[in-house]
Amino acid sequence: MGAIRNEIRRLRFEHGEMTQQELAEKIGVTRQTVNAIELGKYSPSLEAAFRISSVFGQPLESVFHYSKDQ
Amino acid sequence: MSFREKSAWISMLSMLAIYGFYFWSVIHAGPQVGGFHFGGLLETIIALVVVQTVLTVAVAIFTPREAKAPRDEREKLIELKAMRVAYSGLATSVALACFFGAFDPPIVFNTNALLFILVTAEILRSACQIVQYRRGA
Repeated sequence: MGAIRNEIRRLRFEHGEMTQQELAEKIGVTRQTVNAIELGKYSPSLEAAFRISSVFGQPLESVFHYSKDQ
Repeated sequence: MSFREKSAWISMLSMLAIYGFYFWSVIHAGPQVGGFHFGGLLETIIALVVVQTVLTVAVAIFTPREAKAPRDEREKLIELKAMRVAYSGLATSVALACFFGAFDPPIVFNTNALLFILVTAEILRSACQIVQYRRGA
């Protein structure tokens, strides 16, 4: 089984230490959902993934990575 | 802990306590009393509605923004998964109740057995939600 990894923690840091709550409000989910995505416990829908990428002004593949080896 | 998880805890614990007391009373009353304890059930349902409403409102007062927000995609998925597990339990239990119902049990057993199955399925649904919220899934 593959795994989806992400750069959300780093990107939040680079965007003025954006909090999980701030990101959650921007993409319309709860803070707990942002935390679950960040920790790789929950894979977001394609729409939510695009919204996250849009907040950071990055293409999708710069925020999320798929690796087959896990 | 999110508002939805707190709601699941309220739902599960209140049903365990209030329906637990109801079924304990039914068992202690014994089948010789006869009939379906409708008065007792009505009081149980009223108590459940009051307790759940008061506790949910109390939680909502402390987290008004979360309480007003619609469920997000992860919360919807958690609810669907919990519903699937509860439905499987409900369907299996009803099938078993139908099977054992063929042995002509007294009506008070039959009706309360179906109520017990429904309540257990609801408790299972809340428990599944809590497990998934705890896991972060």
